[in-house]
Formats: sequence, structure tokens, C-alpha cells
Amino acid sequence: MLGLARTVERRWSAAVKPDQELIDEALSGQVGAFAELASRHRGSVERLCQRFFSDHELARDLVQESFLKAFAGLKTYRAEMPFGAWLRAIVINLCYDELRRRRRKPEELVGDFTEPELDWMQLVNTATPEEIVSAAEEKRHAHDLAHRLLDTLRPDDRMVLVLKDSEDMAVSEIAAALGWSEAKVKIRAFRARQLLRKQAERILSAERRWAAR
Amino acid sequence: MNCFEARRDFRAFWRRELSAERREAFVAHLRECSGCDGAFRNFALTAPVLHSEVEPAGHREDLARVREAVAARRPAMAYRTSAPRRQWLSMSAAAAMVLIAGIMAAYLSISEPVGNLNDVLSQSEPQVEPVVELFGPVTPVARVDQGNGFAE
Repeated sequence: MLGLARTVERRWSAAVKPDQELIDEALSGQVGAFAELASRHRGSVERLCQRFFSDHELARDLVQESFLKAFAGLKTYRAEMPFGAWLRAIVINLCYDELRRRRRKPEELVGDFTEPELDWMQLVNTATPEEIVSAAEEKRHAHDLAHRLLDTLRPDDRMVLVLKDSEDMAVSEIAAALGWSEAKVKIRAFRARQLLRKQAERILSAERRWAAR
Repeated sequence: MNCFEARRDFRAFWRRELSAERREAFVAHLRECSGCDGAFRNFALTAPVLHSEVEPAGHREDLARVREAVAARRPAMAYRTSAPRRQWLSMSAAAAMVLIAGIMAAYLSISEPVGNLNDVLSQSEPQVEPVVELFGPVTPVARVDQGNGFAE
């Protein structure tokens, strides 16, 4: 009985091994410890990448690259900061670089809508708020259209908007992660929301005009 | 519910986090306020990305890929872990060199003592005199009236 209790206790303590312990083990060359860290934080890393990119393959590549970068720089990690926050800063910087690399002109993005996207826009224009929420959960193109709209923003603006509105990060946290001043973060967030509202109004009014024909 | 409260609740409504009572008040406000209704429809266009709870795809093979890639980089890790050992080696080598230099300096100072300069100078004077005594008083080597010394 006592032996069983000890086994359970051992398993429990192994299950809740703190991040720092796993980091130390990974630094001593145990790949399994880093794999455990990766599986622990994969969900949040993946979610963050998916907020920036609709392309699932690209998001998966970025997830992998983030962990490789974290592994390569593990020695530079300092315990004053939670590992999750340190890892998030790596992901943010990778996504930011990718956004800048892929940047296209806004006019290339908002223009040709697919039939399902037009249906979704019509629904947003005409349905009740509750119907809109229910429909959005099922429609993949609602997600795609949202990404297309966000693609019209500059990388800086989009970065701030996602981190602030989706990840609920404080202005000071965003400023620290991107190496910007807090004033710049606030200005970018304001600008991003304004631009996005204008784009959304333009899309919905275009859909109304198209429906009236 | 006023416009400020309604707009603050956009996200909670989208995520279905409002109580039934609050949700009713929210919908009722949007029915009456065209400004908030329009703002909510604009919000709905980006909410699927910005405000929905994104479910991670959770591909099992992704973790396997990370594990493989990390294992492939293991030599780099081994290099990093051996760094402290190399640091110790270089530190002990430096300490050994300092020790050797110290021993050599001590040895040189014992075998060749450097005395006072006056002592050195006073010691050099008697060394000249025996040379003078050996050859006798100094006389001119050749004079014009005595010839060159080879004829006799």
C-alpha cells in the first residue's frame, strides 16, 4: 500500500515538474525534457501563430521554428521571466518577421471575394447578432475573410492589434516584446482599430450595394 | 444598458460569456441603437480571428517533428554543455602558467643577485691594476727618431 502511494507520489511529482527543472535537464542534454516543455506550451504557441496566419502549414512551420529557436537559445533564458513569456516573445518576433516578409499591398487583398465570403458578408449585414455568432462558429470562410481584412493592415499595426485584443497583453508587455516605446504601441493600436473599422465599413457597404442591384 | 457598456460587452457576447439577462439587455440595446449595431457588425468581420477561442490543431506529428529537429541539433547542445568544462581547463592552464612564471622569477632572483651599483663599480677597479703590473709602465710604442723598431 505504502509502495503504491510512493509510486503515485513519484508519478505525480514527475507530472508536475516545474519548467525550470525541465530546462535544466534539457541543458544537460536530455532531449525528452525539452519535448515535454514543448508539449506543455505548444497550444499557446500554435494559437498565437494562427491569429497571424490563416495558412495552417505556415503556422505549423512557425510553431516548429519557434521551438527550435527556443532550444538553441535555451542557455540565454533567465528564470526571472516565466518560460511561457520568454517563449511568447520568440514567437512574436518570428511572426513579426514573417508578416513583414509577406507584406502585400492592401488593394491586392480586398477586392475579389469568393461566393461563400459574399454570403457571409450578407449574413453579417442582415442577420441578428445571435445568428451572426452562431454562423461564425461553423463557417470557415468567416475566418478566412477576417484574415484577409487583417492582411490589409501594416505588420506593425496588425501585430499590436492581435497582441492587445486577442492575447490581452498589456501595453508595457507589448512594448518590451517588440522593443518599442509604449507611446508607439498605443498609437499603432489606435491606428489599427481605425483602419480596420474603415475597411469593414467599406466591405459591408459594398456588399449592401451589390445586394441592392 | 448604455452604448459604452454594450461596446465593452462585444467580446463577451461573441464568446458567449454573458449571462442570459445581460445577453438580452445587449441584444435589446443593439436593436434600438443603430450606432452600436453597426459597430458590432464591423466587429463581427474580424472577430473570428481576433476574438474567437482558436482551437489549436494539435497535430501529434508536430511534436514529433520538433523532437526530431531538436535531437538533430544535439551536437550543438553537447558543445554548449562542454563549454563550462572547457572554461575550467583554460582557467587551470592560466593558473599553471602564472605559477611557473612565479617559480622562474624566484629562481632567477636567488641565482643572480643584483647588488648595489657602487659595489659593482668598486669591484671593477682592482681588476685593471694587475694588467698594468704585468706589462710594466706604459711607454710610447713607436717614435720617429727611434725608427720603426724593425731595422735593429
